[in-house]
Amino acid sequence: MGRLSIRWLLGELPKLEAEGVIDAPVAERLRAHYAEKESGAGRRLVVAIFAVFGALLIGGGVILLLAHNWEAFGSGTRAAIALAPLLASQVLVGWVLVKKGESTAWREGSATLLALAVAAAIALVDQTYHTGGDLESFLWRWSLLLAPLPWLLNSTAVAMLFLAALTWWAGAARVEGSQILMTWPLAAAVVPHLAQVLRSDRRGLRAANLQWAIAFFLCVAVGLGLDNRVPGLWIVIYVGLFALMITLGAVNRRGEEGLWRRPLEVVGVTGSIIMWLILSFDEPWRHIGWKHIHTTERFLEMTSWLDVVLAAGLPLAAILAMALLLDRGRHRLYFLWGLSVPLVAIVWPLTATTDSRWIGAVSFTLLLFVVGIATIAEGVRQQNLGTVNLGMLMVALLVVVRFFDSGFGFIFKGFAFILVGIGFLVANVVLSRSLRARQGDAS
Amino acid sequence: MNQRLRFVLFVVVALVQLAVAGGAIVKSELALRTGEAFRFRIQPVDPVDAFRGRYVAIRFAVDRAPAADDLDVKPGKRVFLPIEIDADGFAVLGQADAEKPTSGPYLRLRAGGIYPDEDGTRFVWVSMPFRRYYMDEDLAPEAGRAVWSGRRGQREASVSVRVRGGVGVIEELYIDDVPIHQWLADNADNR
Repeated sequence: MGRLSIRWLLGELPKLEAEGVIDAPVAERLRAHYAEKESGAGRRLVVAIFAVFGALLIGGGVILLLAHNWEAFGSGTRAAIALAPLLASQVLVGWVLVKKGESTAWREGSATLLALAVAAAIALVDQTYHTGGDLESFLWRWSLLLAPLPWLLNSTAVAMLFLAALTWWAGAARVEGSQILMTWPLAAAVVPHLAQVLRSDRRGLRAANLQWAIAFFLCVAVGLGLDNRVPGLWIVIYVGLFALMITLGAVNRRGEEGLWRRPLEVVGVTGSIIMWLILSFDEPWRHIGWKHIHTTERFLEMTSWLDVVLAAGLPLAAILAMALLLDRGRHRLYFLWGLSVPLVAIVWPLTATTDSRWIGAVSFTLLLFVVGIATIAEGVRQQNLGTVNLGMLMVALLVVVRFFDSGFGFIFKGFAFILVGIGFLVANVVLSRSLRARQGDAS
Repeated sequence: MNQRLRFVLFVVVALVQLAVAGGAIVKSELALRTGEAFRFRIQPVDPVDAFRGRYVAIRFAVDRAPAADDLDVKPGKRVFLPIEIDADGFAVLGQADAEKPTSGPYLRLRAGGIYPDEDGTRFVWVSMPFRRYYMDEDLAPEAGRAVWSGRRGQREASVSVRVRGGVGVIEELYIDDVPIHQWLADNADNR
């Protein structure tokens, strides 16, 4: 049972006792049982976190010491120094696997140390023999050697390190103009570990951390991997990706969990708002679609196809997920967030055929506005201040962006602002009347 | 999953990790101990790598080679380059080919692309694998500065490379034919 559920249960006990559902000894036993569990879980978590940070610092320190470049030692000595930390941490991890496999702290800590020892070893060998090429090549070899570890050692910290190294590699390789298609099959190495973590404790901190890492990785890697032969496909891909994240996050959510335990939702919503704000300008919609396909540069056929597959697949997956997984009553707001997908499916081809930049900009301005208002309304209905504030933030950002947007003339902007302002006041009057009427009915 | 199987798999992974690091050591030591030595002219700059420390970045004066007539390689694929010696005794790259040369020293390098030059002869860009000379964090910037001035023609910078079976490993960085550490010591006052 999650910490929040336990806290809820403990909070309910006095009421249950008072209403005679359970008697005092039972309540006392429940209290003792869960109190123990909660404090034990907290202590274990702290130990695990300290173990990971300890390992990170020690491993990082070893890398820094090696980076000094101890030229005074001969190459043979330095080779031995390179392999020693690796071998030592391998032995440690082996021992942990056999003796302490159940302890999260030992597993995560030793695995983290090993991940950094691998980096230190290949770095020092490169340094000693002046080989190994660019940072890109180093990060690639490191990622490859890390790939099996998250699942094998059941370590989320290493999974996060691995995704970070892989993302860094993809960025560095992209700058060098290399192909980064291999990102995807390699990143799939995290999937078995994700399954592992979700199976053992899907509400736990490790599951949340891993999902954060995966969500960030996806946001960056999708963009880095784009080939952009057909300009503007990124619009469809990112709108689909964020809608999918929001939907999956909403489906997974149980009750009132804190934001940290809802990574997919948080990244999806934040990404959507940023994306929609960008798309509410006319610039992203300029020269997009098959009419402007690039023919002069060299492209890799596979990467171009991956673009198309993502552009078709992500929105479709988002729609399917919404249709199959979301509950019409409970997830009303999330359907609204998903509106961006059908919208982009209509607007993108329309823009591509007509070459008009304004269809997209106006559509996404309206979308931001409508979803913002609906979010405020839903927040008021649920009496949830966080949701109200989110909606207000959206509308406020939209207002600020449009106020300084030079794409529209001052007169147009002025009238639009005044009209929307009047709209708000009217809505305010209507809302307060209906509230008063409802209160009147109630009393 | 079975605990024993997991342990066995981990041992395999651990051995691969050791083999990757150790294999690089063996490959480099073999080239350094038994390889043939060549001197390449370089044009360097000085940066830092978060993981591997400070180094003198090296740009080879020769980073392209004439392409064999029938050579057709995609960027990223390997080509074989025989090493030849120019009139000043420095190494230059011979004609690139997809096949291993039957005799003589050669390097196996990643090809950039094939382009015709000003006279219409085809050449291939190659990325030299030894692009960095790692040094003590205090010395590297000084060495970098020293080599930098070589670029303006006052000093000549070069590296000696040991080559064995297509693998090249940098042995030493030279400024005006003096090994870098000695050069830095000699010029400690008037740098």
